[in-house]
Amino acid sequence: MKIVWKLVWMAVAFLAALSLAKIATERGEPVNSIWLVLAAAGTYAIGFRFYARFIAAKVMALDDQRATPAERLRNGHDFEPTNKWIVFGHHFAAIAGPGPLVGPTLAAQFGYLPGTLWIILGAVLGGAVQDFVILFCSMRRDGKSLGQMAREEIGKVGGVTALLTVLLIMIILLAVIALVVVNALKDSPWGTFTIAATMPIAVFMGLYLRYWRPGKVLECSVIGFLLVLASIFGGQWVAHSATFAPMFTLTGVTLAIAIIIYGVLASALPVWLLLAPRDYLSTFVKLGVVILLAVGILFVRPDLQLPPITKFVDGTGPIFAGKIFPFCFITIACGAISGFHALISSGTTPKMIAREWHAWPIGYGSMALESFVAIMALIAACALEPGVFFAVNSPAGAVGATPDAAVATISSWGYPVNTAQMESLAADVGERSLFYRTGGAPSLALGMAHIFASTGGGRAILGFWYHFAIMFEALFILTIIDAGTRVGRFMLQDLLGHVYEPLGRTSWMPSVILTSAAIVLAWGYFLYQGVIDPLGGINSLWPLFGIANQLLASIALCVATTILIKMHRARYMWITVGPLIWLLIVTFTASYQKIFSDQPRIGFLAQAEQLEAALASGKVAAAQVAATNTQIFNARLDAVLCAIFVVLVTLILVDSVRIWAGVLRGVRDARLNETPFVPTQLRAEEI
Amino acid sequence: MKRFLNGILTLLKEIGDENAYQRHLHAHNLEHSPEEWRRFADERMRGKYARAKCC
Repeated sequence: MKIVWKLVWMAVAFLAALSLAKIATERGEPVNSIWLVLAAAGTYAIGFRFYARFIAAKVMALDDQRATPAERLRNGHDFEPTNKWIVFGHHFAAIAGPGPLVGPTLAAQFGYLPGTLWIILGAVLGGAVQDFVILFCSMRRDGKSLGQMAREEIGKVGGVTALLTVLLIMIILLAVIALVVVNALKDSPWGTFTIAATMPIAVFMGLYLRYWRPGKVLECSVIGFLLVLASIFGGQWVAHSATFAPMFTLTGVTLAIAIIIYGVLASALPVWLLLAPRDYLSTFVKLGVVILLAVGILFVRPDLQLPPITKFVDGTGPIFAGKIFPFCFITIACGAISGFHALISSGTTPKMIAREWHAWPIGYGSMALESFVAIMALIAACALEPGVFFAVNSPAGAVGATPDAAVATISSWGYPVNTAQMESLAADVGERSLFYRTGGAPSLALGMAHIFASTGGGRAILGFWYHFAIMFEALFILTIIDAGTRVGRFMLQDLLGHVYEPLGRTSWMPSVILTSAAIVLAWGYFLYQGVIDPLGGINSLWPLFGIANQLLASIALCVATTILIKMHRARYMWITVGPLIWLLIVTFTASYQKIFSDQPRIGFLAQAEQLEAALASGKVAAAQVAATNTQIFNARLDAVLCAIFVVLVTLILVDSVRIWAGVLRGVRDARLNETPFVPTQLRAEEI
Repeated sequence: MKRFLNGILTLLKEIGDENAYQRHLHAHNLEHSPEEWRRFADERMRGKYARAKCC
């Protein structure tokens, strides 16, 4: 390395270290968000240039002379050697979902510091490594999926367990993100109208692409985007209309039922009519908003109003219960390390990579960028006044059932807020109330709206930006619900096909209807459970989703470690074993606490016992007995589900360790299922 | 700047499957037609939406 570059990298490292020190040690004065940006960007740059390059060169020994699956299996569809920056954008668009936006917002209840450190270090040492190594493994195996690699490298148990785990995680994921939408749209005619309007707009786009202007996806998406913008203005009019406002003012239960019905319809309708056009639109909007937010933060550079660490690190937080360890690391999954990314890294992306070294920016770099999105979401949330942040995100069960009670409770924590301030803010964004808007989406939208409005327009356009942000979040959450229900159906059909062959046929209508209904009922049940939960549902469901997602990452890291050992790279296995051990400690501790903690806000079983005791002592009103019995059942169901996750991952872990020990002792065949070396014929100008 | 904007447009076309469609036409020596787009889109979406979308 030339001396100039050495000096540049030393300067980057110094700046990153200085920024980290600044945000870690500053007390009393608000910290400017630019320090978070510098700390994150500098650490990602160092991680990318040195750690990821070391993994690429020494551990995986990437070889540009080796033909990739994109070249060998080129078919013009899935397998196609593609420019690395195009694949980078494609991969980033695929991995960036609502997780890195919502998780950091919720975890801000601990203050900005724990979340920031976990997002940055978790991504550099764990998440990006997982994505990169799995992408490499899949690329060396003709683009095989995580499940297929688990089956081939670990064994049949690993393969079936991975499939089952993904299915269960998907059900919880769909429930929790649907809950985020319900909580964002509850009693909000403006938001509900805007989101409802995206459905006919998507159908219009589907018909436009299918019959009127076939193949003109970009043109169609521009029209769709303009219509969505018009629907935001339309929503404002609806909210002020005496006739239409009541029609779009829906309760949480009504919205949950509407989303469940929508899920069934979306799963049964042809893909081209609703899912595909909205997927195009939501991906474009997602990329645009991420860029807009980055520019907005750099332009406005807001001060962080939340303290670095709050008193809630002791586990008494109103948004979700549990101490900083392990719950901060469970709440922020996507943005630091997400098992779901392993499904994308072993999906479309490995089939598009033209040169093996392109996996370096695509696998590691995309995750670093997603982590940066999580930092931006954290900044947007922490730029709100703490009192407002907690008033929006805390459920009535934690702060009191009336706005007066809520502001009194929140102010008593040292975060002053009053009802007049909340009413004024609600009026500014065109909402009736901003109290009890749990789920993270409304507070994130509020933070984003403040940043966007500060670049020009001020309070006058706060309402537009707030609803634009809500639309942006809901748009791609609904796309994930559509696609997830469909994928869940395929997985269930795959499993049921072993029991009765026709059930496995994706074209057999009775099977399609049966399995679609089963998947929608499964996530719909958990959604309903979240909506009727007095603690807002997020307290139970988000940690469950975080645990499940991190456990999936554990499976991916087991597969990656197995492959590294079989490649005779055991001396480097710490790069995957390190994050794996950390994840196992975090997830197993969190699972244990979620099941067995004696505090009813944390432990599912303790919660069920407390409710049972209340029933037995006659403290529950007659009208509430049925609902309380349902809550008792739900708490036990959550405990069982959490235990199932742990058992499934333990099975894979034990199976993997057995193989590692066998290979390392030389008593087991270290046969790799890698495709043989074929020299590349691709010319530089072809990529 | 022009190169950068071209790169952005190519990325958008890749995400929007327009590039994949052009490659499909080129690989099979076909002309664009509404029927061909529908055939291509059906096949592509079958694969695309059989995979999980990320959280």
